[in-house]
Amino acid sequence: MPDRRLGRLLGALVPSHIAADAFEPAWEDLRFAYLTRRAAASSGLERVGLLAGYTVFALLLLLDCWRLAMGDLFRRREPRPALAHPLTTEPKQTERFAMFLYLVRHAFRQLVREPAFTVAALLTLALGVGANVAVFAVVEAVLLRPLPYANAEDLVILNHRDQRTGITKEYIAIGDYVDLVAQQTAFEGLAGYGRGQTTVAEGDEPYRLNILGAAPGLLDILRVRPVAGRLLQPEDSREGASPVMMLGYKTWQERFGGDPSVVGRTIRLEQSERQVVGVAPPGFTFPPNATTDAVIPLTYPTVAPPNRRAGWSLALGRLKPGRTLEDAARNLTMLSRQMEKDFPQSNLASEYYPLDLRTALAGNTKPALMLLFAAVGVVLLIACANVANLLLARSLGRRREMSVRLALGAGGARLAAQLLTESLVLALVASVAGVLMAYWGAQALVALLPQSGNVPGLDAVRINGNVLGFTLGIVVLTTLVFGLVAALTVRSQKAVAVLNTARGSSMSARARRATSMLVVAEVALAIVLLVGAGLILRSFASLLAVDPGFRTANVLTMNLRLPGNRYADRAARDGFYQRAFAEIRAVPGVREVGAAVVTPLTGNNWTSAFERPEHPVPPGERPPEVGWQVASNGYFKALQIPLVSGRLFDERDTPQAPPVVIISEAIQQQYFPNESAVGKRVRQGNQTAEIVGVVGNIRRAGLRDVPRADMYFPFETNQPGQISLFVRTSSEPERSLQAVQAAIKRVEQYATVEDAQTLAHVASESERVTRVVLWLLGVFALTSLALAAVGIYGVMSYAVRQRTREIGTRIALGATRRNILWLVLQQGATIAAVGTVVGLATGLGATRFLSSILFGVSKTDPLTLGGAVVVLVVTIMLACYVPARRAASVDPAKTLADQ
Amino acid sequence: MSISPRQLPPLSHLQFLALGVLLTGDEPGRVIRDVVASYGVRRTGAAFYQLMARLERDGLIEGWYEPIVVGDQAVRERRYRITAAGSRAWRQTRSFYETVAAAAAERRLSNA
Repeated sequence: MPDRRLGRLLGALVPSHIAADAFEPAWEDLRFAYLTRRAAASSGLERVGLLAGYTVFALLLLLDCWRLAMGDLFRRREPRPALAHPLTTEPKQTERFAMFLYLVRHAFRQLVREPAFTVAALLTLALGVGANVAVFAVVEAVLLRPLPYANAEDLVILNHRDQRTGITKEYIAIGDYVDLVAQQTAFEGLAGYGRGQTTVAEGDEPYRLNILGAAPGLLDILRVRPVAGRLLQPEDSREGASPVMMLGYKTWQERFGGDPSVVGRTIRLEQSERQVVGVAPPGFTFPPNATTDAVIPLTYPTVAPPNRRAGWSLALGRLKPGRTLEDAARNLTMLSRQMEKDFPQSNLASEYYPLDLRTALAGNTKPALMLLFAAVGVVLLIACANVANLLLARSLGRRREMSVRLALGAGGARLAAQLLTESLVLALVASVAGVLMAYWGAQALVALLPQSGNVPGLDAVRINGNVLGFTLGIVVLTTLVFGLVAALTVRSQKAVAVLNTARGSSMSARARRATSMLVVAEVALAIVLLVGAGLILRSFASLLAVDPGFRTANVLTMNLRLPGNRYADRAARDGFYQRAFAEIRAVPGVREVGAAVVTPLTGNNWTSAFERPEHPVPPGERPPEVGWQVASNGYFKALQIPLVSGRLFDERDTPQAPPVVIISEAIQQQYFPNESAVGKRVRQGNQTAEIVGVVGNIRRAGLRDVPRADMYFPFETNQPGQISLFVRTSSEPERSLQAVQAAIKRVEQYATVEDAQTLAHVASESERVTRVVLWLLGVFALTSLALAAVGIYGVMSYAVRQRTREIGTRIALGATRRNILWLVLQQGATIAAVGTVVGLATGLGATRFLSSILFGVSKTDPLTLGGAVVVLVVTIMLACYVPARRAASVDPAKTLADQ
Repeated sequence: MSISPRQLPPLSHLQFLALGVLLTGDEPGRVIRDVVASYGVRRTGAAFYQLMARLERDGLIEGWYEPIVVGDQAVRERRYRITAAGSRAWRQTRSFYETVAAAAAERRLSNA
């Protein structure tokens, strides 16, 4: 849509006096017309048509402004007549400028005079530039733009991995955390943090706040300066300290009217009252894309507690000046080894490592973006090769013009300058069109990428100075590429020879070789993209074929949170869940209701130690980790996870009854290979729990996960205030959503229901990055294939024209049509073969960048490589077939008569 | 200031037309452009506003932006009003054509 931001952006692309005088009011008129018509549009299709139409108008307005600007300039500075003649003396500065203006005007005229060439070249280039700028705009926002903290490049997030299973986690056990903070030497500071929500029970209407829990030092690490009051201090985190909080700037403004006297006041957050000690500065949030309405201190023990298994908090550090990420990694590895030695039962094979903040936040979006960036770079190269080919072909038509100029004394440099200016104008106009395309392309790309709240910058993608600078880089690059072509054509001019030749329009051997090489390069680049897209297509097919171990169809899931102050005790929660589940079951179409703590396929890796009391883990060793889940009887039924043996949780499993667990088949096979696990016991802290059932394996973290060894604890005895709800319905689950939410609200109006979606959608979202990459890479691969086909078609058509006389002679001497067809196809096949070999070699090297996205397919999958070659060769042969048929239908009588 | 019958008018036809629209009160640019277009003078948006900007620079009109709401969005409309100098220039131009027309009519009569 032609909005004000885009107006400012386009206005910056024209000279300032034209922008103020002409562009700005005309742009507002354009917006007026667009908005008026859009308001009257009755269908979505009509609105899309309007958008497309006004995009073209916007582009035309921009070009019109440049026309006016050039007109202004030319009115002021007409070129001196001497400029048309060879320059015998060094021109003055003003003359050079006048000459440049003359060349620019001439280039514009030349482009207008050859509309077919201009449209083909502009479309090809604009496509390449637009795709590049769109992807770069997202890359710039997500990966290059500074994070909103001072010296953010020194900030790191701590992760740890279990080297036995490869499972990585961000949450750190409290015992490990205290030791790491005390013993590390690589960081200026290391501090824990956590995110959560709380309800402010003030006034008539309670409201929710997104809170950041901060361990001592976190706000110093982030270089936060309060706008009122003070920061949280280490003593605020001591056990028994009086509860305090900081308000976020927006909360302070919106809820307290920016009143400075709020500092010192007490606010009730659910069960506790906290005194406001300060206000965070405007715009402060952590993590960057989260909302931070308030900051509260995390209680922090002074001595490391014994818990080194359950995750306690996330941790952020700031590197000491002069230290690198590698230094920090070495320091953390050393501390991990020490903790492994000191606490083998919890820390064996556990390794801490740092991730720079941006990488940690961007997650799998980063490799996907880098891959797309590389892919659009390839598309641009192919587009450049194609336009270079067009320029070479065009230079033939202008050979006489060039020769006449040479004969009249124009120097080679002068002609090269003219061709270079034409290239520059072409690249500039294409870039402007490309930037316009990118403006919407980038928004579309953002809409396609997963909206993980943590990916920084995704909400702030825009065409800013950096992106325009990048575009300028592309303009320079493409101009240089075409400049080389220009130089080549000028060098191949032999003025006298051409003027003496009646049919002076054949390409020199050097230019012919250049053309063929450009097409070989196009073919090679196209096959690289085809192989990449093919591998991802096969990965996606493998992912679709994966059985997660449960049925995702017809299941609704949502997060349910109870207000803490009303459900502090277990009996109250039990009463709520019993009533709420009964109400939900009564909703028409609902077949099962289940509850769990972890929603499958959302990347959760929470684990628990597994140990059989009759086979205790020897001292100095760490028990294996298995997946941890709290689930109700209905969870297994709603997800249709099969019961293999024993029973599910039921009414016998009360808090007073002996502890029980359910295990997955993988545990049965691994730890009870020749016996039934049902009735056996597992150690749980100081007591043991009886295994009452065995259920099927599921892929818990994601579809790429291996089927897991999981242990389920009964929801019936351990009901948290925040759960994931699973509702199986008899038909489309979306239809029951409102009724289910209403049923919950009937039981507790302050219950919060969030993230309601179908489980099928959760499964689909878990592989969204793969889908986006597949989709875009597919589009880029097909574009490059089409461009390569057009390129080879052009070369073969030219070759056939050049050889018409030879072909006529051959036919006259007895060559059959088939021979001629084969003669031409052979030439195309040679180019295709060389391009394919070069492309395959390059493609095989490039597939390593895909490794993080591939699933269930080898990087050298012969089927994919073969498929890509077949698609390419067939396309190229089809592109060659038309000129080959034209060659085969040459009339020898006519051709020889012409001779 | 009066104009000599021998002196060419200070305004072009297009400027005369645009200023004429503003004689009855201030108007947005697109309305002036529509009126000008109804006389068969087609100008692109940018070219039209460049013409208006030149009139502004010559002190013949005054222009300003006025916010209006279309649908759910605000648009800044460029509005213009004629200045005293503009009215004077328009009258001088009209008087030139009237003088020329009168002279032509007189000659036709004398030749009749």
